[in-house]
Amino acid sequence: MHYQKIVVIGAGTMGSGIAQWFAQQLCSVELVDNSEEQLQKALKGIYDSWDKLVQKQKLNVTEVEKMKGLLSVKGLGKVARDADLVIEAIIENLEVKKSLFQKLDQHFAPHTIISSNTSSFPISLMSEALSPARKPRFVGLHFFNPATIMKLVEVIKSETTDELLARDLYDWFESKNKKPALCKDSPGFIVNRVARNFYGEPLRIAEDDNEEKMKEIDRILKEVGGFKMGPFELMDLIGIDVNYSVTCSVWEAYGKEPRFAPHALQKQMVEEKRFGRKSKRGFYKYD
Amino acid sequence: MTNVSFENILISFGFASKEDLKKLLRENADKEVYLDLTCYDPAEFYLAAPNLKGAFSALFSDESKKIEVHMRERNEKFLEKLRELGFFPVETSIVSCGFIFPRTIVQVINEAYYALEENVASKSDIDRAMKYGVNYPKGPFEWAQDKELYVLTLLNELFTKTQDQRYRPSKLLTV
Repeated sequence: MHYQKIVVIGAGTMGSGIAQWFAQQLCSVELVDNSEEQLQKALKGIYDSWDKLVQKQKLNVTEVEKMKGLLSVKGLGKVARDADLVIEAIIENLEVKKSLFQKLDQHFAPHTIISSNTSSFPISLMSEALSPARKPRFVGLHFFNPATIMKLVEVIKSETTDELLARDLYDWFESKNKKPALCKDSPGFIVNRVARNFYGEPLRIAEDDNEEKMKEIDRILKEVGGFKMGPFELMDLIGIDVNYSVTCSVWEAYGKEPRFAPHALQKQMVEEKRFGRKSKRGFYKYD
Repeated sequence: MTNVSFENILISFGFASKEDLKKLLRENADKEVYLDLTCYDPAEFYLAAPNLKGAFSALFSDESKKIEVHMRERNEKFLEKLRELGFFPVETSIVSCGFIFPRTIVQVINEAYYALEENVASKSDIDRAMKYGVNYPKGPFEWAQDKELYVLTLLNELFTKTQDQRYRPSKLLTV
């Protein structure tokens, strides 16, 4: 099927990136947030990004005018009820999300697919808030930041998701030049699970807080392994606190399985508020 | 195992058991030996054999032919020979079981196998997710292609050395 009417809930970094990407596919997009200020900020960010793409000759003025016409921002009460696909990208708080899904379920038409961009909660747990009729039409759609550039979309199928619907979304994203990956509803899905060791193992090779060694490990993994960034500089960019919290959440979700155990240094750094680039001190210093 | 000898230097390439590598070192006590120790801990070999002058990891080397090299003392003749044979040696001062790149990717590969074992996704979707979600140059199964034996040997070695459950290999690697 063709997904033409899209609603994105949450105008933060992920939500506005997702909305921008859909508008660039010439879908009609309603970007929703309960803060008018956030909506205007997101809209300005998207417009600025499009202007830059015109300057770089990646898009032309006519295309951008069309996209601008297709994108609108509003509060939930004003959203049309007949959307094809709704994507939730609000804060990672299970109770807040569940109460939102309950509202969305009542607001939208029976054919509307409701999805979540969560990276931490089981899709099956969130679907508890939905009516039995909606459950087959509820799916995880996990985009990666920046959503307009990163091609992966994890299409997450819970026990109650309609298999054909998940397949259809997969094919649709594929046709729009994304690289979808179909995956089961399990902690960390694919990326946040399989990527853990790219951080955890170099931490064990370094053994302790040794900047010279970390620099060397980063260099080798880039030079020999072909990675764009080394694990330590990447953790500093992501935020030590963010990376540590994802590690802990995957570790706990798998019953403290030793393969996912955080390294003592990560905890120590969080306690010392060495969060990486944003606090000017992580594995490296940024003065 | 393929051996290359010149002057007083012996370089051994390819996969071999620990026993065979130690035997080679014993039989060449008068030579300066350099071994591919991708799946093992160079520290253990350095301790046992003073004639081991350096170690490298070429078993996971791809078309870039870049390999990690550790030397007790820098030896330009050995490095030159590696270049002559088409490799690009990248020197490191860190001695770690499985070096840096092999040790890191076997752990990424192992987790990808665990995910496959639990039917989380298909091989191709896991590869795709890592390449397009976090920009890995290759997917874990692409790295592991025809190298499952090296992956398993290194994981077993890490497990034996550390007794840490994090190195337990996925069942799919052991069949």
